[in-house]
Amino acid sequence: MSVLEIRHLKKKFEELEVLPDLSVSIEKGDVVAVIGPSGAGKTTMLRCCNFLEKADGGELTFDGIAHDLRKMKTRDIAAIRKRTAFVFQNYNLFANKTALQNVTEGLIIGRHMNRKKAEEIGRAMLEKVGLSGREDAKPDQLSGGQQQRVAIARAMATDPEIIYFDEPTSALDPELIGEVLSVMRKLAEEGMTMIVVTHEMSFARNVANRILFLVDGQIVEEGAPADFFGNPKTDRAKEFIRGLEDRENAENPQRR
Amino acid sequence: MDESLWTFLIESFPKIILPGLKITLPLTAAAFTWAFCIAIVNALIQFANIPVLKQASRLYVWIMRGTPLMIQLYIVFFGLPSVGVVIDPIPSALIVFAMNEGAYCTETIRGCLESVPKGQLEAGYCVGMSYPQTMRRVVLPQALKTAFPSLSNSFICMVKDMSLTASISVAEMFYETQRLLGRTYKTLALYAELAVVYLIFCTVLTLLQRLIERKLGIGQPSKKRWQILGRLAHVRS
Ligand SMILES: Nc1ncnc2c1ncn2[C@@H]1O[C@H](COP(=O)(O)OP(=O)(O)O)[C@@H](O)[C@H]1O
Ligand SMILES: [Mg+2]
Repeated sequence: MSVLEIRHLKKKFEELEVLPDLSVSIEKGDVVAVIGPSGAGKTTMLRCCNFLEKADGGELTFDGIAHDLRKMKTRDIAAIRKRTAFVFQNYNLFANKTALQNVTEGLIIGRHMNRKKAEEIGRAMLEKVGLSGREDAKPDQLSGGQQQRVAIARAMATDPEIIYFDEPTSALDPELIGEVLSVMRKLAEEGMTMIVVTHEMSFARNVANRILFLVDGQIVEEGAPADFFGNPKTDRAKEFIRGLEDRENAENPQRR
Repeated sequence: MDESLWTFLIESFPKIILPGLKITLPLTAAAFTWAFCIAIVNALIQFANIPVLKQASRLYVWIMRGTPLMIQLYIVFFGLPSVGVVIDPIPSALIVFAMNEGAYCTETIRGCLESVPKGQLEAGYCVGMSYPQTMRRVVLPQALKTAFPSLSNSFICMVKDMSLTASISVAEMFYETQRLLGRTYKTLALYAELAVVYLIFCTVLTLLQRLIERKLGIGQPSKKRWQILGRLAHVRS
C-alpha cells in the first residue's frame, strides 16, 4: 500500500500555473529523487504535500485516507504533519534553541512527550547524524553541514512515515555536502520513505530507487535510476542528462 | 562656588532622589510592565491578522501615537471628572503611560515579529507544533530578543517623561524639586541638580541594558566590530 498518493494536484501563483496537474504515488520504503530544472515546481510540490502551500485542487491520500486538498481541516493538517517531516534547503533550525532542543521541541511541545524521554531520543538522533557532543550548540555556532544534520535529526526524531527533503545540500559549501549525503544514505538504507528534491546526481543514481523528472510542473519521465540515466526515453530527459555529463566532465577533466 | 550653595545642594540631594526612587522608578516600572503586556497582545493580534481585533488594535495605536502624552494626561486627570470619573494622580499616570507606551511598543514588537524569518514558523509546523505553540516557543522569543534594545530605549524615555506627571500633582522628582524651589532662589542650581539625578538614573539603566544585552548575546563582540570597521575602511579606500 502506498504511504502517500497525490492525484491531480494543481497550484497557481497568481497567473503562473506552476503545477497544472500532478499525480504521484509513493510506496513505503521508497527513496524518490525529484530532479529537474530550476523553476520546475519541485519545491512547490513538496510544500503542497505538507500544506505549507495551499493547493488549488487535488487529492492527497495519506495512510489510506483521502483528503480534498482544497478543503483541508486544520485538525487533519496537524495530524498529517505529525506523521511526516520536512528538511529545508536553508535548514530552518529554531534559532533560539540548542541543537538538542531543536530535536526535542516537536516531541515535548508538539507531542507532549516527557522531557527525559524526549532528550534520550534527541541525543540518540544527534549521535546518529554524528553530532554527539554538540547538543548544547546554538545553530549559529554550527557549520551549514552540521545545521543540516541537526535538521535531519529533528526530522527523524518524530519517527515520521515520510520525510520530504527540499534540496538539502544546495546551500552547503562543496566540502560539507558529503557529510549530509552520507547521513541521508544511511537513513535510506534503514528503510525510511523519502522524497528528495536534489541536484546531487550521485545520490539520485546510487541511493534513490525511483527518479521523478519534473519539467514545468509535469512529470516528464519516471523510472528506476539505471533506466533513467542509462536509457532515457524523452528528449527532455536526454538533454538534461547530457547537460549533467558535460558539467561533470568540465568539473573532473581527469576522468576522461 | 560658595560653601553655602554646596551645603544646600548636598542637603537637597536626598530630597530630590528619594521621590525618584519612591515614585518615578516604581511608577515607570509598573506602567512599562503594563505597556509591555498590552503591546504583546496587540502585536500578536496584528501579526496573526485576526479580523476586527486587528482593526481595533490599529485604531488604538493610531489614537495613542497621534495625540500628545501631556494632553492624554490632562484628559484623564482634569477632563474625566467632568463626566463623573475621578481618578487619583498616580493611577491616572499609570493608565495614561501604560496605554501610550503600549502603542509604541506594539509597533516595536510587531516589527520584530515580522522580521523573524517565515521558515521558523514553517519549521514549527513541520515538527508537529501548532501556530500558538510555535509563536510562543520560537517566534516570540526571537522577536523579543531583537526588540530588547528598542524596548530599553522606550523604558529610559519613560523615566524622563514621568516628569510630566508633576503637572497632575504626582509627587515625583520634578514636583518635589519645584516645591523646594518655592523656598529659595537657587533655581539654576536646583534644576541642574535634578538633571544630574535623571542622568544618574539613566546611566544606571543604560549599564543594566548593556549587561542584559550581553547576557542575551545581542550585538557584536567588539573584536568583530573592529573587523567590520576595517572592512568598511578597506572598501572606501
Ligand atoms: N510564493 C510564491 N509566489 C509566487 N511565485 C512563486 C512562489 N513560489 C514559487 N513561485 C514560482 O513558482 C515556480 C516554481 O517554483 P519552485 O517550486 O520553487 O521551483 P523549483 O523548486 O523546481 O526550482 C517558479 O517560477 C517560482 O518563481
Ligand atoms: Mg526549489
